[in-house]
Amino acid sequence: MRRRRFLVLGLLVLGGSPSAVLSQWLGYPTPGIPRTASGAPNMKAPAPRMRGGKPDFSGIWFANVPAKDYCKEKDCVQEERMAREQINLGIKLKEGLPYTEWSKEQMVKRRAKGGRDDPHTYCMPPNYPRAWTLPQHTKIVQTPQEMVMLHEFNAAYREVYLDGRPLPQNPNPTWNGYSTGHWEGDTLVIETNGIRDDMWLDIQGSPITESAHLTERLKRINFGLLRVEIDVNDPKAYTRPWSVTIEMALQVDTQMLEEICLDNEQDVKLYQ
Amino acid sequence: MQAMLNPMSRGPTVAAMALVLLLTGVSAPASWAHHSQSEFDSKLVVEVEGKVTQLDWRSPHARLYVDVVGENGEVVNWNFELPSPVTLMRRGWKRDSLKPGDHVKVKGARARNFPTIAYANAIRDANGNPLFTGVTHIYEPESDAAGSKSP
Repeated sequence: MRRRRFLVLGLLVLGGSPSAVLSQWLGYPTPGIPRTASGAPNMKAPAPRMRGGKPDFSGIWFANVPAKDYCKEKDCVQEERMAREQINLGIKLKEGLPYTEWSKEQMVKRRAKGGRDDPHTYCMPPNYPRAWTLPQHTKIVQTPQEMVMLHEFNAAYREVYLDGRPLPQNPNPTWNGYSTGHWEGDTLVIETNGIRDDMWLDIQGSPITESAHLTERLKRINFGLLRVEIDVNDPKAYTRPWSVTIEMALQVDTQMLEEICLDNEQDVKLYQ
Repeated sequence: MQAMLNPMSRGPTVAAMALVLLLTGVSAPASWAHHSQSEFDSKLVVEVEGKVTQLDWRSPHARLYVDVVGENGEVVNWNFELPSPVTLMRRGWKRDSLKPGDHVKVKGARARNFPTIAYANAIRDANGNPLFTGVTHIYEPESDAAGSKSP
């Protein structure tokens, strides 16, 4: 009851719409964040820091896709905010991703089949770095010893150890591999190995394989903006190491929402 | 079932009939929740109206089932794919935003190989007012990365 009174009060203060009130905690004010005099979150405030002084990346993140690019027309049932990298992770690279002959063939074949073979179509888990670009949210929970990334799609998780342990030798390959992080100034450098041999990086089917060493450099530019530099060194799939940068926007006054893909999957049959 | 349905407001040539138009130059859908949507053909444009039988509010896509009366009086239950409930909830929609019996007009694109399955681009009420038009409200940060979009 006390929570309900606070919720109603908060929404009256913030002018929240009734439709947002009724859907769980969508619209519920995120506590403890910098706000302007009007009560709006101050996204330009400095990045928060952990007790030891390192940046704190905790929060709910989604690809920084401006809302004004979204749903321009009145009839926009299918319009979604979508990172362009979701289709092709190398879309901003002048020459595109440096595919090897083998991986180019894989990608072209997959793209021609229109996603029919995409693991995501079959409700398989979100895999990083692809998961940064998916249309669901990532929640980062950070402690001095470990960072945990929670992902809405299939209620998945990824662990990044910050306790100084080395990457495993000859690990059993998994969807997200094995990740450790270390600090270079205010940048958290996440190193990953042990990725499965048959993972996709984007909708068009750019491969990432067991030979990959993935490096993600996380920098929180300010309170509302996270920059993720993705460096891929995968000699089986790419002729040289390459790097792309994507931006993530902090999502406030909202919550993680469960999206269990197999609950009512009906699209696979349509490909037949 | 048929008695539940109102007569169509349009002319007799399209009354109570799924209208599948072969059009060219229709852009591909922007939506992608867990698949590429290549199983739908954006050139197979569907326009129907009828009564909602169910709004199935489950992942990975909400589905709107609509009874549509054909020219000969037969009732066809269409299965329209919507974005995920998560996406719709962030636009302020709820699982009971449409109820059985609601009269709707739906425009979308049909599945290539399934004649009564489509994704919905536009859903309007009986008066033609657009539904599902909400925009997810976000607070946008400033971007200073070269090559990225600026809010």
